[in-house]
Amino acid sequence: MFPSKSSNDDRDLVGRARRGDREAFTQLIMQYQVPLYNMALRMVGRPDDAADIAQEAFLRAWEKIRTLREAPFKSWLFQIAANLCYDHFRRGKRYGVMPEDDQTSNVLGLGIATPDPQERAEANERTRLVRDSISALDHDMRIAIILRDVNGMAYDEIAAVLRVPLGTVKSRIARARAQVQERLQQHPDFFPAREDAHAD
Amino acid sequence: MPTEPRIPVEPTLEELSAYLDHELDAAAEARVAEHVADCAACRVRLDGLRETVHAVRALPMETPTRTFTIPAESRKPFRWAPVGWVGSAAVALLIIGLGIQNLHLPAGSATSGSTANFNGTSSQRKSAEGSGIAPLAAPATSALPQQFDSQAGSASANPSTVVDRSNGSRRMILGTDGAQYSKNGRIHVSIQLLGSPSTSTSSGDQGLTLTLVRDGVGVALHPVGVTSWNGTPIFGGTYDLGALPLTEPRAGDYQLAATWVIPDGSGRVLQASVPIRITG
Repeated sequence: MFPSKSSNDDRDLVGRARRGDREAFTQLIMQYQVPLYNMALRMVGRPDDAADIAQEAFLRAWEKIRTLREAPFKSWLFQIAANLCYDHFRRGKRYGVMPEDDQTSNVLGLGIATPDPQERAEANERTRLVRDSISALDHDMRIAIILRDVNGMAYDEIAAVLRVPLGTVKSRIARARAQVQERLQQHPDFFPAREDAHAD
Repeated sequence: MPTEPRIPVEPTLEELSAYLDHELDAAAEARVAEHVADCAACRVRLDGLRETVHAVRALPMETPTRTFTIPAESRKPFRWAPVGWVGSAAVALLIIGLGIQNLHLPAGSATSGSTANFNGTSSQRKSAEGSGIAPLAAPATSALPQQFDSQAGSASANPSTVVDRSNGSRRMILGTDGAQYSKNGRIHVSIQLLGSPSTSTSSGDQGLTLTLVRDGVGVALHPVGVTSWNGTPIFGGTYDLGALPLTEPRAGDYQLAATWVIPDGSGRVLQASVPIRITG
């Protein structure tokens, strides 16, 4: 099981931020912006939507941090962002397709040798298939597998974020993985299926 | 009367999944392990789940498309506004997806100390395959051979080291070749990821971002990765400050911040920063 990773590290920063220390809160933003943004991105699909959600989550956290008592900051912050993701879908927005260009727009002129076009195309296709398989999950399963396998949270952290029992977390992650596996195996060129001994 | 050895009851999907995550209690974990050891069918189920987990965890960490900020004033209700409005504040913020136009790889005379030459073709190709990050626009001829100082952190004039509290052998060493530069000067940056669980030389795969920040507005720098002689991924480059899309006036005090989301699925983040002064 993963240890409770950042709670001790955060305690001092959260204490200072609760007293209005903007620099301390900025440190918290720096610490969590990449994982939080990626959680939102894998949930909603479109980079701009994900950035809106992450921004709003940080703003709400800053506004409400005085109300934070014993709960770990990380779980609390991700809970805010998770709720915003659900709100996003309640407003009728759908999972957005990540523009292919957006995957590379941040990477310019680095001087790295151009990889083999076929290898690159295959890698991109694998990434796309995994993204699509996750996006096909219902929201509850999708966020469970993202918090676990994208963000690396422990089950008890996920339970705190989603405010559901541990058994529910376990069940959602397992079912999500099984569904993703099933979808990926529909593309044996990229994800060859293992021989199923139960098939007999 | 002798009895057949009994295989423990077949684990459920939930148990196999939680077993992969070490999230079962000791008794259940032992029971699943014992069953899987003797049951080929469940090994197949477990391997299938494991590969799925690996596929999901292989998704690259994406860089946020804009800077995240908090209001310059005291707390009051507000809505999200475009980046730019935070003009003051000692807020150091980060990450936007702006590319660097004129990035030059370190020249042969990078720094003192032991240096290593690397022909990055194969490892870079491998990393690009894993990351899904597409081809980079720079001419390949500028990239190879590359030279990086394997002791860059300690040899740097402006170093910062951060140690992973949960793993003392894991460190990120950020360094630059100076602390003060003219606005049209060049800054050499190196970042060593000691104890990284990944050997990838793709910054996306490694979860590494590098940003030059002032007053809450950041410009993302995209470091080139190579592998040192001892397998340590080292990132860096020489950046033309005159070509960076910094806001005017360009002169001022900045922080160069490196953020490393350790690519082991743990969600742990290491951060290091060094002060940079740009003069007129």
